[in-house]
Amino acid sequence: MPDRKPVESSDPAELRPEARPGARLEARPELRPDLPQAPRRARFDRALVFVALVAIWIGLATVLGTYWVGSPWGVALRLGSGVWGDLWQALAFVLGPTWSDSAVGGMTRPVNLGLQGQLQGQILVHASYTLFEAVAGFLLGAIPAATLPFLLRRLPIATAVIDPFMVGGYGAPKLALAPLFILWFGIGIASKIALVAITVFFIVYFSALAGVRALDARLVQMAQVAGASERSVARHIVFPGAVPYIFTGLRIAMPYSIGGAVIAELISANRGLGYLIQLGAMNFDTTGVFVALVATTCIVFLGNWSVDTLERWLLRWRPPADTKAEVGS
Amino acid sequence: MSTTQSALDLAEPTPVRWRQYAVTVGRILLALLLLAGWKVGADVAGPLYAADPVKVARRIIEDTASGTLLRHIYVTLRLATIGFAIGCGFGVVLPFLLRRLPRLTAAVEPYIMASVGVPKYALVPLFILWFGIDDAPKLWLVGLLVFYPVFIAVFAGIRNVDRRLINMARVVGASEAAISREVVWNSLLPFFFASLRIALPRAISAAIIAEFLVGNEGLGFLIENSRQNFDTTGVFAGVVVSTAVVLVINGVLVRLDRYFNAWRPVDRDMDI
Amino acid sequence: MTAAAEPLLEVRDLGKRFAGRAGRDAPAWVIQGLSFSVNEGEFLTIIGPSGSGKTTLLNMIAQIDVASSGMVRFQSQPAPIGDPKALNPGLTCKIGYVTQEDNLLPWRTTLQNVLFPLKVQGRLNDETRAHAETLIKAVGLAGFEKHYPHELSGGMRKRASLIRTLVYDPPVILMDEPFGPLDAQTRVQLQEDLLRLWNLGRKTIIFVTHDIGEAIALGDRTLVLSRAPARVAGEHVITIPRPRDIRGIMGHPDFGTLYQSIRAQVQ
Repeated sequence: MPDRKPVESSDPAELRPEARPGARLEARPELRPDLPQAPRRARFDRALVFVALVAIWIGLATVLGTYWVGSPWGVALRLGSGVWGDLWQALAFVLGPTWSDSAVGGMTRPVNLGLQGQLQGQILVHASYTLFEAVAGFLLGAIPAATLPFLLRRLPIATAVIDPFMVGGYGAPKLALAPLFILWFGIGIASKIALVAITVFFIVYFSALAGVRALDARLVQMAQVAGASERSVARHIVFPGAVPYIFTGLRIAMPYSIGGAVIAELISANRGLGYLIQLGAMNFDTTGVFVALVATTCIVFLGNWSVDTLERWLLRWRPPADTKAEVGS
Repeated sequence: MSTTQSALDLAEPTPVRWRQYAVTVGRILLALLLLAGWKVGADVAGPLYAADPVKVARRIIEDTASGTLLRHIYVTLRLATIGFAIGCGFGVVLPFLLRRLPRLTAAVEPYIMASVGVPKYALVPLFILWFGIDDAPKLWLVGLLVFYPVFIAVFAGIRNVDRRLINMARVVGASEAAISREVVWNSLLPFFFASLRIALPRAISAAIIAEFLVGNEGLGFLIENSRQNFDTTGVFAGVVVSTAVVLVINGVLVRLDRYFNAWRPVDRDMDI
Repeated sequence: MTAAAEPLLEVRDLGKRFAGRAGRDAPAWVIQGLSFSVNEGEFLTIIGPSGSGKTTLLNMIAQIDVASSGMVRFQSQPAPIGDPKALNPGLTCKIGYVTQEDNLLPWRTTLQNVLFPLKVQGRLNDETRAHAETLIKAVGLAGFEKHYPHELSGGMRKRASLIRTLVYDPPVILMDEPFGPLDAQTRVQLQEDLLRLWNLGRKTIIFVTHDIGEAIALGDRTLVLSRAPARVAGEHVITIPRPRDIRGIMGHPDFGTLYQSIRAQVQ
């Protein structure tokens, strides 16, 4: 099949099994070294490492001072009070005077708790902007990308024609296009959504394409022999078979979507966690930078967790070993 | 080649040569269409939003002739190379050290894997705060972005080494160093190359993004500075050159991968 | 070799236990109370039902696995018991091991694979290289020196892995069903090759198989192992004189009796 050649030469590196070592590890359990099983000792060691890491953090904050390294309690206080400030406002917005004029509401009003300035809130507000950009861009990029290979399934020539352009798009440094998107869509959320969407698009396209291709031809033939229509072959055989591949792409794309939103915010924005990080850095407010970083990391974990959960739910039919989470991405 | 593809071929008995021809023509047409779309888009959107492809080409030629563009490319590639070397070095050496220390590995592994989730780009303002506005913060970013994929691939590659080959090598009298070099290293080369193919383009793109945020030279600076000066042609020229640099390096990596992994039984196609 | 001399390899009351999974299953003894000895220059064949711990036994002799109890002595030196860190795999190149899988390095050519032991032992010189090339020719691999393992047939890979062990001339060679998955024709060919090479050097060979005919055709003596936990269920001295004709060995008058009595012990 000569028209496939270029595809082979340019397979997206991230989507290959070697790039996802976790998958290999699961696939070849017999090659795993039989490490001495000592779970209790390992748990103790891990706890020890955790204590050591926190000690190092405290040590750095104490020795270097909070100008260089935000102290753990400083970060926790800022984060906690910031989140509380947002929650208080949200409750006041939803419940109105019943909350803000109540005894508890009055007492816990951020100002009355002695929280001022940066301690008063806005973490959740900014986080929600970033999250919205990431999710909207993710959906906007992933849905067409996952659909396109199915539409092109019966059109091998069209697939071959667009292939070099798709490979180019995949390889292009999309995050480096951030200024272009800011130029086109302004410094608001639209430019971030567009950047995230285009980043996610190419990753998911190739994983969905691989899924459609890896499909077991015997299953299709069997269904056709059994009299299944083209539509029902697509629906009952091609799609379920491709889902695991699509999820590989989604799992790789998830951190990129949040990363893309944050990068665009770092470059130019007036809201969002990236803006918060930049604001903190400009004011030499290291604790503020730490707080925004912690919030960003939390969002990444939340995103990864959501994709994993959704995948587990959609792929209930798979034998348990296959659905194990992989390292990396 | 996947079996699906052959099934599709059976379903559509088009002569192969005719199809090859159609694909080539189709690609050329699509490329022309995209260029025409760019041109029309630029005319419609106006010079503030989109630069005319002819102007962009002229700008690239002019800047190349004057040497400024080459200087920017050099600065970015230098940054990417040094950062890549640092990240790659740690990413390869650390798993080999951990190989000898299984207890330490078990203890730190969950923390290393968790730190993968920290968005590295978001650390740049912190790096600037800590390390100043010279190369250091940019190198940290590039180094970290390269380190993780390499480390994870090599780490998993070492774990995946066929125990039977290691036993064989021990029986015939190979030292631990010889086993590391011959068996472990060769076994994980495909993993390592797969990670390089992720890491090297990422290093360049990281260098460009770092230059958006700090510094006064390099492709990233060129793009972002042009944007701030409403020089749309400059933005487009920078973006085109950056993309071209990354794509060329991608292509070189594909060739190198083929060359070094020639012993592998099947030339992999892109099926996962 | 006199009976009074110390045997080259002595296995006494050997036991091997594998831990149960995550504390759920009880630990299982694969080998228990296994005793035998091997004299220098002897060709010992070991036969047993599948899963009777034959590979585990060889692994313990080659010291890539550790015994749980009992004793393994090679040249009067006992192997460590229960401590995997004290193992000396291959006993400093004195014991060669042709494993069930060929275990060729997939990224090295045939010649490089054959030279690998010499290279890591620092003994690669013109003389040893010439010896390797002679061996390659002797087993019919000439012309395939530059091929990668995946480009060779199963029989060729077996040959390569066999001469990779012969090339550094270990006094003892362990062989674990080396001709197992091959077709009958290739198998006989390789058995003949092996006997010819053995006749040249008269090494000590411990050869594990699940094929009774092969055990009789090759060995001076055959041990029959029981089902797990493995112990010696029977011992047979093969009286068929050498040199033997492998293709015609079934016609030898002793063959039928030996075959029947071994088969009765292999359950």
